[in-house]
Amino acid sequence: MKDRLATAVKQSRADYTEIRVERTWSSAVAFRGRRLETATVSEDQGGFVRVLNRGCGWGIASFTSLDALPAMVSRANELSRAVLLEEPIRLADTAPVVADAKLDLDGDVRGIALGDKKKLLEAYNGAMLAVSKSIVDTQASYRDEVSEVWYVNSEGAALYQLRPEVVVSGTAIGRRNGTIEKGLESIGLRKGWRSVQGFEERFRVVAQRAVDLLDAPRVRGGAYPVILDNELAGVFIHEAFGHLSEADFVYENPQAREMMTLGRRFGKPVLNAGDNGAAAGLRGTLPFDDEGTPTQDTPLIREGILVGRLHSRETAAKLGERPTGNARAISFRHPPIVRMTNTYIAPGKAGVGFNDLIRDIKLGVYACGAFGGQTMLENFSFTAGWGHMIRDGQVAELVKDVVLAGNLFQTLDRIDHIAGDFTWNQMGGGCGKGGQFPLPVTEGAPHVRIEEALIGGDV
Amino acid sequence: MIDRLLETARRKVDGADALWRREEQTAVAFESGRLKAAGISEEAGLNVRVLSKGRMGVAGTTAAQPDPEALLERARASAELGEVVDLAFPKAAPASLPPIPTYFNRTANASLDDLIALGRMLVERLARPDCQINVSVEREVDETAVGNTAGARGEYRGTGIAVTADVTRIAGDDVLMVYDQYVGADMPTDADLEALVRSIETRLSAALTVVTPPDGSLPVVFTPAGLAAVVLPLEQALSGKTVLQGSSPLAGKVGAVMFDERLSIIDDPLTPGRPASRPIDDECVPSRATGLVERGAIGRFVYDLETAARAKTQSTGNGRRGIFGKPHIGYTNVLFRIGDGAHSGHVGAQYAAPPSILGGGLIADIDDGLIVDDLIGVGQGNVISGAFSHPVGLAYRVQRGEVTGRVKDAAVAGNAYDLLKRIGGVGTDGRWLGSRWSPSLLLEGVSVARR
Repeated sequence: MKDRLATAVKQSRADYTEIRVERTWSSAVAFRGRRLETATVSEDQGGFVRVLNRGCGWGIASFTSLDALPAMVSRANELSRAVLLEEPIRLADTAPVVADAKLDLDGDVRGIALGDKKKLLEAYNGAMLAVSKSIVDTQASYRDEVSEVWYVNSEGAALYQLRPEVVVSGTAIGRRNGTIEKGLESIGLRKGWRSVQGFEERFRVVAQRAVDLLDAPRVRGGAYPVILDNELAGVFIHEAFGHLSEADFVYENPQAREMMTLGRRFGKPVLNAGDNGAAAGLRGTLPFDDEGTPTQDTPLIREGILVGRLHSRETAAKLGERPTGNARAISFRHPPIVRMTNTYIAPGKAGVGFNDLIRDIKLGVYACGAFGGQTMLENFSFTAGWGHMIRDGQVAELVKDVVLAGNLFQTLDRIDHIAGDFTWNQMGGGCGKGGQFPLPVTEGAPHVRIEEALIGGDV
Repeated sequence: MIDRLLETARRKVDGADALWRREEQTAVAFESGRLKAAGISEEAGLNVRVLSKGRMGVAGTTAAQPDPEALLERARASAELGEVVDLAFPKAAPASLPPIPTYFNRTANASLDDLIALGRMLVERLARPDCQINVSVEREVDETAVGNTAGARGEYRGTGIAVTADVTRIAGDDVLMVYDQYVGADMPTDADLEALVRSIETRLSAALTVVTPPDGSLPVVFTPAGLAAVVLPLEQALSGKTVLQGSSPLAGKVGAVMFDERLSIIDDPLTPGRPASRPIDDECVPSRATGLVERGAIGRFVYDLETAARAKTQSTGNGRRGIFGKPHIGYTNVLFRIGDGAHSGHVGAQYAAPPSILGGGLIADIDDGLIVDDLIGVGQGNVISGAFSHPVGLAYRVQRGEVTGRVKDAAVAGNAYDLLKRIGGVGTDGRWLGSRWSPSLLLEGVSVARR
C-alpha cells in the first residue's frame, strides 16, 4: 500500500502532496433496556488527498473508491490552483519519518466472536437493570475497532499505523413519576478486548446513582467555592483551556494572539497543564499525528504561566514555533486540524489530598463526573454527573443538575489548590470541532479547587 | 446495485431491505477573510437489513464494488444474535410517490467559481475592522435508492447547500462570536444572503456594549437559535423510541393538552426547498406530515418500522439510516406553527421577516429580562427530563422595552415542559435554522443566575 501511495504522490504535479488511506474494521453491540439493538461488524475504507502549490491554497479530496486515487490527486491539484493566495501557506519543517507503528492490540478484537461481545455487554447492561425497579431504561453499547492508517507525503514520510480502540458505555435512566435522572459510565481506551473486562460494579454504581438522584434536590444556582473531582477537572482543562491553546484559534487573528501571548499569567503558581499524545495506552494516544509528525508531551501552562500551544505544521510555521503532533482528523473523510490528545492538569504536591482542599470550605459544591462540556472561546460550560454540597468542611447531601458556567480567565485564576491524586480519565467520549466528531481524546487531573465558580440552576 | 442485492437476498433470507446512497460534496473555506481551501468528497455506500428466522440483522459497506453475498452473510451473522422482531416491510405503494422537488439544477450545476464568488461576496459584506470573518460554502449532490424484498422501491436525487458565516471580535479578554447559516436545497437568492448579512450585523452591533446581567425569575425571549435548549427535550420525548422505553415524560399523553394551546409542531418531509425533504423514507415508507403537537395537545409520536411494529402502530415515515448500523428514528423538517399561523410567516423563505430587529417584536413590554440567542452546552445533561441549565453564549439584556447590551457570565435555567405551558408572546421573526422552522418565543419565569 505504501508503494501504491508513493507512486501516486510521485505522479502528483503539486508542490506538496500527502495521501492518507484508512481501512477500519469495527464491531458494535448495543442494548436498549433488555433488548439488543444491534450486533454488527463493519468495514470502512477510503482515502484522503491534500495538496499545496506555491501561491495557492489547499486542494482536498476524500473518497471511498481507492481505484480513483490517481484521479483524486489531479482533482486536488486543480482545486488548489483555483485558490489564489497573496500570502503563501508554509509548513513548518519536520523530519520525514519512515516507520511502522503498531500499537499493542491487547487482545485483538478482530479475533473475538461477536457473540462474546454481546455477552459482555449483556452482563454490564444487566448490572444496571438489576439495581432497582426505578431503572426504567438503559442504553449500553460496546464498540471496538482496529484501524490501519497509511500516510505518505512528497517530503518522504511513509508511515503505517495500527490503531486499536475499544469503548464500553452505559446510561441508566431512573424514573419515578415525572422525575427522570440518569447515570453514565464509559470506558474508552486505545487497547483491546482484555482491557474492558470486569467492570460490572462500575455499571451498578452509576445505575444506583441515577436512582439516588431521583430524590436529590437541584443545586441552588449561584457562586460557590467548588471542588472538581478528577474526572470533571480533566474535562474542565480540556474545555476551558485546551481549546484556546489550539493554535488555529490564534494563528491568523492578531487580537487572539495578543490574548494568548506566551508568558501571560493564566493562573496561580500551583497550576501546571499540558497535552501528551505520547502517553501510553490512553484514548488520545497516537505515535504520529495525521500529518506524520511524532506526538509529544507539550507543556501549556507552567506555574501559572502560558508556555505553549498545540500546533499543526501550518500553524507552527505561521507562528514561528515547532509542530507538536496535534494535527488530527477523525477519518479519511476530513482534513487534519489542530486537536488535543490527552490533556492534563499536573498533580500538586504529593501528599496533598481531597481533605486538604475541603477543610476550610463552609458552603460549597463538590462537582463530580462529567456528562459533557462545551467551550465558546472565553466562556465554557460543563455539566457534572452529580454533585454534593459541601457544608462546614464536609461532603454533605447529594444534589443534581450541577452545571458550571464560567469565564476561562477568571476561573483558571481562581484555582487555588490542587491535590496530588492525579488519575487519567478513561472515558469513551469524544471531542467535536469543525464538524469532526467524535475524536478520541482523554484528560487527566487530580482533585482541583476553584475559590469561586458560577453554578447554574434555580435561584 | 440494490436490485442485485435484493435479488440475492430473496434466495438467502426471509426478507430484506436496503439503502444505497452516493454523495458528492464540494466545499470552499475562507479563513480570516481569505480563501484558504477547496475540497471535494465522494462517498458511496450500501446498507442492508435482513430478517432471518424472525431475527433482524444489519450490515453496511463503503467498498467500491460490494459483494452482495458477503454483505448478506455479514447481515445474517448479525441476525443470529439479533432480537425477534415482527417486522413487515412496506409493499410497493399503489400510487406514485408524493411529488416533492429535492433536486435543484442551479445547486447541482454551480461551479467551483460560483461557490467561491458566493463566499467572497459574504466576506466583503461582513468585513469590519477588528473582526475576523470565516465563511464556508458547502454544496452536496446526492442520489438515494431504497428497496425491499416486498417489492417497494424508491429513488430520488437531492441537492443541498449550506453557507455559513461567523464573525469573531476579540477586544482584550472579551471574545464575541456571531454566527449564521443559510441552508437550502436551492441556491440562496440575493435576498437570502442580504438577510444573512443583516442577521449577523444586527446581533453584532447590539453586542458591542457589555452590560451587567439581571438575575432572578425573568421573562426571556428565546430566538429561533436560542430555542434549541427548549426544543431538544420535546424532540427526544416525542420519539416513539423513548416512549417504548418508558423514558419519555410524554408517554401516555396522546390527546392531552400539555402545552400552550397556540402551540403546534409538525414534522413535514414534504416542505419544498428543504434539504431534509424526501418523497420516501429510508425504509420505503412514503413521506407524509405528522402532527407532533396539535394546539397544545400531544398528537403523534414518530416511529420507524421497528419501533412501530413493537408499539403496534404504523411507521410515520421517520426511518433514517446511514451506511453502517441499523435504521433509527429521525426527524425531517420540524416546524413550529404558532397561533393562527399569521405570525409564523411563509415557510418557504429562509426568514419570514428581515432579521433587522432583535427579539422578533417581543420586547416592548419587558421591564427587565433577556434575549437568549445562544446557550453553551445544549444537549448535555439530562435532556429528556426537560430541565436545562446553561451559561449564555450570546444574550442581550432588555430593560424597559429596549435592548441595552450584551450580557456575559450569566446562566439560564428552567424546564422546557413547564415553560411551554404558557407562551408569553410569539415573534414575527420565524425562520429556518437547519431543519427547524420557528419564530422567537417569549417565555416567562426563566431562572437567570449571574456571578
